[in-house]
Amino acid sequence: MYSGIVLEHFRRPRNHRALEAPTAAHEANNPLCGDRVRVEIRVEDGVVREAAFTANACAVCTASASMLTERVIGLSAQDAARLGGDDALAALETPLPAARVACATLPLRALHGALAQRSVTV
Amino acid sequence: MPDLLEQLQSLRATERRVAMATLVGARGGSPRPLGAKLFVGEGEGGRLVGSVSIGGCVDARVVEHGERLLREDRAERVTVVVDDTEALELGLACGAEFDMLIEPVRLDVADAAISAYERAILAARGGRTAFVVTRLEGSRVLRDVRDEPQGAPDDSAFVERFAPPETLVLVGASDVGAALARLARTLGFRVVVVDGRDRYATRERFASADEIRVGMPSDVVRPFLTDGAYLVLASHEYKYELPILRDALRRPLRFVGMLAGRKRAASVRGLLSEDGLSDDEIARLHAPIGLDIGGREPEEIALSIAAQLIAVREGKPIARRA
Repeated sequence: MYSGIVLEHFRRPRNHRALEAPTAAHEANNPLCGDRVRVEIRVEDGVVREAAFTANACAVCTASASMLTERVIGLSAQDAARLGGDDALAALETPLPAARVACATLPLRALHGALAQRSVTV
Repeated sequence: MPDLLEQLQSLRATERRVAMATLVGARGGSPRPLGAKLFVGEGEGGRLVGSVSIGGCVDARVVEHGERLLREDRAERVTVVVDDTEALELGLACGAEFDMLIEPVRLDVADAAISAYERAILAARGGRTAFVVTRLEGSRVLRDVRDEPQGAPDDSAFVERFAPPETLVLVGASDVGAALARLARTLGFRVVVVDGRDRYATRERFASADEIRVGMPSDVVRPFLTDGAYLVLASHEYKYELPILRDALRRPLRFVGMLAGRKRAASVRGLLSEDGLSDDEIARLHAPIGLDIGGREPEEIALSIAAQLIAVREGKPIARRA
């Protein structure tokens, strides 16, 4: 069973929208289960001012994306890039079977993709 | 509905000249719609492609007339009568009369009749309705393609309408999806396959699909959810179903169906209700999808869905599963 926080973020995801003026975006997908997450960020002066996501994804992945976007807003781009899989898993407050770890970390891949894109383009 | 261009392409491989029989009138009921066509190849070994009835004596007589008119190299309006006695022997409920326009057409060189149909069908495939207007004057057939049907009713003209095919948006590149794509294409639908997984949504698995789109399904389907489209969710994945249904059930689609058991379907309806969809909007969802014919294999499930799509297209009450 998922923790209450997973179900809460799945049913009422935060920052679930497209940004009006993102400075970078990246879509990540799991080719087998079909989860897809697109993370958009607006970075100004090296700080993540806005982060949002859209997804066709399972509850774990959607909740993870919701919590991740909440967490990175206000962080420096460098600190956001340092977030790892353990951070994403810990936020869910629920142990996941190995097969579902990729669901929880997919939004992080999308975020890292967006941050990398920004470092190339800015 | 047979694809006329595919029939002609197939015939061209072996035939130079065929008789084209078109059903232009029927009294007493007809198993095929007006405009149905049977092509009769030359000689005893000439191929037969298509039909103007459900087979049996009517088509056999049309074949005989076709062979005769090929020899005489002229067109004729032929009436085939199935009287009551014969109808009983055939197992038909009542007698009927069928009017056919039978004309020789060339496949090895440009032919005005074939060209007219090709133009109309290509226009329809391009999204524009076209009308082929045919008149028989003596033994000459006059035919033209128009954007509008005849103004006033005119017994001397036969009008065939070629409308853009209806679109089936199929979400979920599963085995059920693959089987349904094949069936739906045969039934005349334009088939668009959508999935988030490029390893599933392949041309190899969906050889007959008109389009295959891979991406975020709820984004990818949006341009295809137009008036009158049919949407089938065969993914069995709430991750795709919920975001798509939130949008699709508020659009004027002809059909929205989802592969699900009753319990799962009820749960999805509950979630959609929590998301703010009205009872009327949720009631538009066909789930479980398909007519209840009891199959379990992908092809069987696809057949039950295809049968429901036909029922919807024909406005039959069976379209709504109890």
